[in-house]
Amino acid sequence: MDITIRVAGEAGQGVQTTGTLLAGVCGRLGLHVAATKSYMSRIRGGLNWFDVRLGEAPLCAGRDDADVLVALSEAALDVLGGGVRDGGVALYDGDEAPGAATGVNFTQIARDVAESKVMANTVATGAIFAVCGYDVEKLCDYLREQFADKGEDVAEKNVACARAGAERVGALRGALTGPKATGAPPALMTGAEAIGLAAATAGVKLAAAYPMTPGTGTFTTLASLADDYGIVVEQAEDEIAAVNMLCGATYGGVPAMASTSGGGFALMAEGLSLAGIMELPICIVVAQRPGPATGLPTRTGQQDLQFALRAGHGEFARAVYAPGTVAQCGELTRRALQTAHRFQTPALILTDQFLQDFQTNVDEPDRTYRPIDRCLADDAGKGYKRYAVTDSGVSPRAIPGGDAFVVVDSDSHTDAGKISEDLRGHVAQQDKRMRKAEALADEALAPEYYGPDDAERLLVCWGSTYGPCREAVDANNADRRRKPAAMLHFAQVWPLHVAAARDALGGPDEVYCVEGNQTAQFAALLRECGLLDACALISRYDGMPFTARYILEAM
Amino acid sequence: MLYDVAQADTSPAWCPGCGNFGILKAFDAVVEDNAINTRTLVLVSGIGQAAKLPHYPDKPVNVFNGLHGRALPAATGIKLANHDLTVVVTSGDGDMYGEGGNHFIHAARRNIGVKAFVHNNQVYGLTKGQASPTSEAGFTTKIQTHGVTSERFNPLALAICEDVSFVARSFSGDREHLKAMMSAALQYEGFCLLDILQPCVTFNRLNTAKWYKDRVKPVGDAHDPTDRAAALELAFTWGDEIPVGVIYTSERPSFESQQPALEARTLVGSFDR
Repeated sequence: MDITIRVAGEAGQGVQTTGTLLAGVCGRLGLHVAATKSYMSRIRGGLNWFDVRLGEAPLCAGRDDADVLVALSEAALDVLGGGVRDGGVALYDGDEAPGAATGVNFTQIARDVAESKVMANTVATGAIFAVCGYDVEKLCDYLREQFADKGEDVAEKNVACARAGAERVGALRGALTGPKATGAPPALMTGAEAIGLAAATAGVKLAAAYPMTPGTGTFTTLASLADDYGIVVEQAEDEIAAVNMLCGATYGGVPAMASTSGGGFALMAEGLSLAGIMELPICIVVAQRPGPATGLPTRTGQQDLQFALRAGHGEFARAVYAPGTVAQCGELTRRALQTAHRFQTPALILTDQFLQDFQTNVDEPDRTYRPIDRCLADDAGKGYKRYAVTDSGVSPRAIPGGDAFVVVDSDSHTDAGKISEDLRGHVAQQDKRMRKAEALADEALAPEYYGPDDAERLLVCWGSTYGPCREAVDANNADRRRKPAAMLHFAQVWPLHVAAARDALGGPDEVYCVEGNQTAQFAALLRECGLLDACALISRYDGMPFTARYILEAM
Repeated sequence: MLYDVAQADTSPAWCPGCGNFGILKAFDAVVEDNAINTRTLVLVSGIGQAAKLPHYPDKPVNVFNGLHGRALPAATGIKLANHDLTVVVTSGDGDMYGEGGNHFIHAARRNIGVKAFVHNNQVYGLTKGQASPTSEAGFTTKIQTHGVTSERFNPLALAICEDVSFVARSFSGDREHLKAMMSAALQYEGFCLLDILQPCVTFNRLNTAKWYKDRVKPVGDAHDPTDRAAALELAFTWGDEIPVGVIYTSERPSFESQQPALEARTLVGSFDR
């Protein structure tokens, strides 16, 4: 069983604070947590909501409806009130609640108890605890711990607010039965944080980016880790500068990363091409949001797959990863950095707003610094040629400051890196670079198959749709009347592991491609690679994440 | 068949009489005279005729010949990766002040320890004769058929306003002066701008070698380069007299000297810590 608590209100009212507190304490108590954010592109007003889904088993997606709605504004009730399940509870931050909601004036209670309306979020969390039948004293213990460094007064005021919130729900106490704690890992992490931490431990030394939702979370994480891991973090004047800084830094010898979204990535396209011809191991996180242009800045989507595959003029090798879970965000960030360095070519990590902000339990992450292998040539010296033609296409890579002179050029160049218009040499170098694409394909991750071997229906997905698809498979297969289903998830979308994909796609009769775009971009890629003829499309491009219910209804 | 074009790929790709030759010779002499360790020297450039200079020095050097307009952010990345390297950007007025204008503003704002030697011939060479950001108002080309109507970009004034470490101007036709300015720039920690006036013998019939020679006038000993107001006045002086020399210097710390991550060692030096 699982329940969803939806905290909703205007930007600036404490939606995020309340949701974060609730998710944090529930994780600490050993509950499985999946928190998702839905917000508008503004700092005040509007309507934002923060869903905290709690369960007794791992959760990998959000839900459409909610068991508890905590409305901090009237608009929150108006817009989201219909999404409360039968038998659910709606609380409203006011004395007189419209409709079926119950008024619990969190703000006034916080003023009365702690002389601080800021602590209304603690009152609300106490109320939620009581409604779900949880012991508010456990919340109090957590609050004391969280506010330990702010002094006893602040901590105790928060405790008093939590207790007051729990008392004031009155008859609604225990109205719902929250899931039991089942020893879930207490640490919570978002996709954005997992990428940032993995980058820091893998040895990223320069993080250069221009802030752009929803990529900024990763940049912020790297900034928070900068002092511990010795990272220079620079907010570039634009994404063009950011990507060229990465090129400079990787040439100089250190791994470097940027995070951005589609619009920013568009500005990086020329720099990506530069890394292609210069053979520089840059790594870029592209956190997707709906376009075209500025589009829906704070919503989610998967519209930039084909763009990520093709971005940058000319032809060069690249690897594109698309993690499906928070854990994969960490694992694939390290892999992307290592792959980029092994093959001296750019690697991209495709996420989206849903996954960047998705927060869930993770095993205590390994925070030890364990840098990747930069795959440098230690013995380069006199006569060194940066682009020596080799069978693998990978040339010994030296960095400036040592015995070798390292010459790199955006123009077509000789094997020594010198600018050259020699057409034969141009072909030799182009062929050399493209040989790396073959080796990259040999290293591609096989897609993950989830479900029974004899599945008749297959949900093909990539990136952040992992969770909703997996839940849809479970729900489908729990219903004996439905044909058995399975999921095929691609965490690497370029190059594809063709053999494994062909094998998995050959079986089931009905193939559905589940994608957060309108034009079936991944299905097009599978067709291009000769892996798929026709398939049904389950698409979503309204800016909201997939849910299991959405997929089941579409099947 | 594929023709062996390489046979005709002569070097350098400059016109006979180009000011770039004087700049290259001065650069070679500065490297020689100052016994600069070229293993720790990186020449960074964008695109344009000036941007090809890193391929031509006498002594081998490290080279990053990047994208048009993007030399400064690349140089910034290199300097941050390894601040023990001497990073010199050598590019033209179109590359640095046009396509790369935004980066110029922000490299100066950071005061990153990069030396920008800008070959300023007031015209686009490699794209064949269009106006550049520093072309004189009224300058006519095949594109600006009625003459340039925009005001000349003033790189010196902008750099002074941003309080960079070093601002100077020189002229490709006066090698001793140019060498002195290059050598001086190499002594400073933060961002250094050396704007080098240079004739374009093919596309700029207005600002010829004689035109510059008749106008350049070394700033006297009386000029105090730490006097910002006086420096700005010189930066705005352009006409019958064009001041050359060290226009402005500042004590402002470099960008990299303020990075906590770089206190103990370089980034590249800390990778395997």
